[in-house]
Amino acid sequence: MIFYATQRFVLSVVIVMVAVSILTLMLHVVPGDPAVMILGPRATPELIEQTRVAMGLDQPLPVQIVTFFGNILRGDLGQDVFTGRAVSQIVFEQLPYTLILITVSILWAAVLGIALGCYSALRRNTWLDTLTGVISVGTISIPSFVMALYSVLLFAVWLRWLPAIGAGEGVWDGVTHLILPSFAIGVSWVGYVARIVRASMLEVMGQPHVRMARAYGLPDGWITRSHILKIAVQPAVTLIGTGVAHLFSAAVFVEVIFARPGIGALIVQAVNERNYPIVLGAVLVTTGIIVLATLISDLVIAWLDPRQREEL
Amino acid sequence: MTKQTNTKTPGIGRRAFLRGATATGIAAATMPLGSRIWAQSGKVLRVSSYADIDALDPGFYQNGYNVDVMNCIYSKLVRYVPGREWDWELEAAEEIEQVDDTHIRFKLKPGIMFTGGYGEMTAEDVKFSFERVLEHDSPVKSDWGPLDHVEVTGTYEGTIVLKEPFQPLWSITLPYGTGHIVSKKAVMEATESGGNFGMEPPAFSGPYILKEWKPNQYVHLVRNPEWTGEAPGFDEIRILPMDDTKTAERAYEAGDLDYTEITLSSLAQYRGNVPADTVIEEYPSLYYVWLGMNLDNPALGDENLRKAIQYAINAEQIIDAAYFGEAAPATGLIAPGLPGHRETPSVPVAGDLDKAREYLEAAGGPPSEPLTIDALNATVWKTMAEVIQAQLAQIGIQTQINVQDSGSFWTLGMESEGERWKDMQLVLNRFSMLPDPYYATSWFVTDQVGVWNWERFSSEEFDTLHQQALSETDGETRAEMYRKMQELMEASGAYKFITHEGTPVMYREGLEPALRPDGRPLFIDFKGDV
Repeated sequence: MIFYATQRFVLSVVIVMVAVSILTLMLHVVPGDPAVMILGPRATPELIEQTRVAMGLDQPLPVQIVTFFGNILRGDLGQDVFTGRAVSQIVFEQLPYTLILITVSILWAAVLGIALGCYSALRRNTWLDTLTGVISVGTISIPSFVMALYSVLLFAVWLRWLPAIGAGEGVWDGVTHLILPSFAIGVSWVGYVARIVRASMLEVMGQPHVRMARAYGLPDGWITRSHILKIAVQPAVTLIGTGVAHLFSAAVFVEVIFARPGIGALIVQAVNERNYPIVLGAVLVTTGIIVLATLISDLVIAWLDPRQREEL
Repeated sequence: MTKQTNTKTPGIGRRAFLRGATATGIAAATMPLGSRIWAQSGKVLRVSSYADIDALDPGFYQNGYNVDVMNCIYSKLVRYVPGREWDWELEAAEEIEQVDDTHIRFKLKPGIMFTGGYGEMTAEDVKFSFERVLEHDSPVKSDWGPLDHVEVTGTYEGTIVLKEPFQPLWSITLPYGTGHIVSKKAVMEATESGGNFGMEPPAFSGPYILKEWKPNQYVHLVRNPEWTGEAPGFDEIRILPMDDTKTAERAYEAGDLDYTEITLSSLAQYRGNVPADTVIEEYPSLYYVWLGMNLDNPALGDENLRKAIQYAINAEQIIDAAYFGEAAPATGLIAPGLPGHRETPSVPVAGDLDKAREYLEAAGGPPSEPLTIDALNATVWKTMAEVIQAQLAQIGIQTQINVQDSGSFWTLGMESEGERWKDMQLVLNRFSMLPDPYYATSWFVTDQVGVWNWERFSSEEFDTLHQQALSETDGETRAEMYRKMQELMEASGAYKFITHEGTPVMYREGLEPALRPDGRPLFIDFKGDV
């Protein structure tokens, strides 16, 4: 297990380095001069050139990439070209908002999705199973930005039950500001998780160890929790682990629509402004989180399933 | 609901300014500082801004959204007067007078304090604030044009000395970004060299101070306890950055904002269904939108072809489609209300298809390959490009639309960005503007070819007029110069002016917003109840 975890960690570092290197290459291929964006239209060509040199943009691309990783080892992600603030400070200021948003979104979606999937599987081919299926497919097909727009119009503009924008201040205010965005992101995941858990449960319910447990007269609830759900939930855990990247993408739209702070909105803005240090710093951190989430989901599955644990 | 009014004034000349300034100065002087009561208390104003602040040093500012905050936290010698016509009034100055073409004498109001124990504002601070813009090679040093130095003649008195006359000083330098005064002592302590202090102002001198800035969340301004001038209308101002104006509209409707700009596309809808307790107003904008043609691209080398394009384009149809008919057509670069605005363009706003066909025939017919139209990747630009595409197709000119993100688009015609400018043919462009015609024409001089002059228009007469107009003191002569410059641009066939857009805003009944004639907010002067 320790060897497996170490191996996965090294692989994760390589993935992050490759992702950031590719991104650096792409940033330099697309047109747009960050020095012009920073200094505005009235800067002299001499001042623009000085700024490019100060930013290291006059250096060959491989040198820029090596310098970037060298700085990371010293804990330096660079400086925001507009405000002069440390990139690490900006990124870690925004990151908690996105992490809280996607964590809450996926948590409520997973709890509801697992419950619905379970219920459907245990009552398969009933009208409630059909209804759950319709709801699941329906929520999967609604994009999160559409859900965000309509939920804000309904609950904030029309009913005025919840705030329309921002992240709020304090715990209670923060919670009220989180409800609509996390609903918008999580709702399609309810359907995904429910469908996967249902299919997986039906498969596990037909396996010999479950039939054996029933033959021994063990209680249904105990069989479901200990022998079915523990195995059936594994594909959903994998889905959630690999779906973190998708959640970050959904967060971009939702952060813009709800004018919430967050790393998604930060990256979009930085790309438009050609604010390279912010783009690189933010992508480095999000790539790291996505890789880490995948790693954690693999470890959780190994923990849930003794067969997989033994193979490690 | 107030309908849009396009004010038509010859602009504010030096004499008109001095008349107004003297009157305002007398009124201000008779009102002792420190004796004014706070207007209201316990009130919070919540407003939106189209972007988050990223520069708070007035000597090195970029973009209007930073100046909106600077207006509240620093003082200037003079400031814009809210209203429908461009005008200026005294702020930190008790008196200001242009004694000759290159000397402006000022006297500060006594008792304006810098926060943090940095003492009273003096003429030394004025000198430091203005001269550091040049000394530190600020990217906006052109705002100060030919400034030579500031001579300090007393604690509160000084003289701004120019190398040559510079008319925009009164319209865009003193009342705007680089006109703000910072504390010499505080800035020297914070930066050692007196350079850019970025996002950390070492001292404030306006009616508000910056209490907190939460990036991408809000800017929180509260009353300056050391402010001795006229009380501002609110205890606190919260400025919420929202890149998407539609988001701001929803936030307003949900009750999260008291004032916001709205999109032209939403204006008609709001007119038909005004939100509760809301006032909607429309202001003309200073922005200018045009279709440019790259004179150095071989496909557009024939002047007759360019004129055919100019005449084939109907700006009214474009405005109907892209702005839902809510913007006024442009007659040139310079918006109504500014010196040099033209009543009619040389090429009719609605174009003339017969004339377009004549020019096209003279050019030997349409180009064999489709022309490209470059535009930003937002709906309004794509719509405009599609309308232009259809209009040009009417005379047989085929086009292909290239949409690009803002980072790519805004370097399209720059020679420093490689060879892309050579392939650029037609480009839909939009520039922002400050309230002096010089700011518009300065991008189209020969020196700007390959920088911001993407049409690569070059005219010796235009360059000469641009230079002469900077120092022309007679208002009407100066206005005529700018009208002539716009004629030269149009005659080149490289420009079809489309619109100045517009600035619709909405706010709660009871609020008395203070807006410039172009609809930009002056939060410092907002009053009323929300």
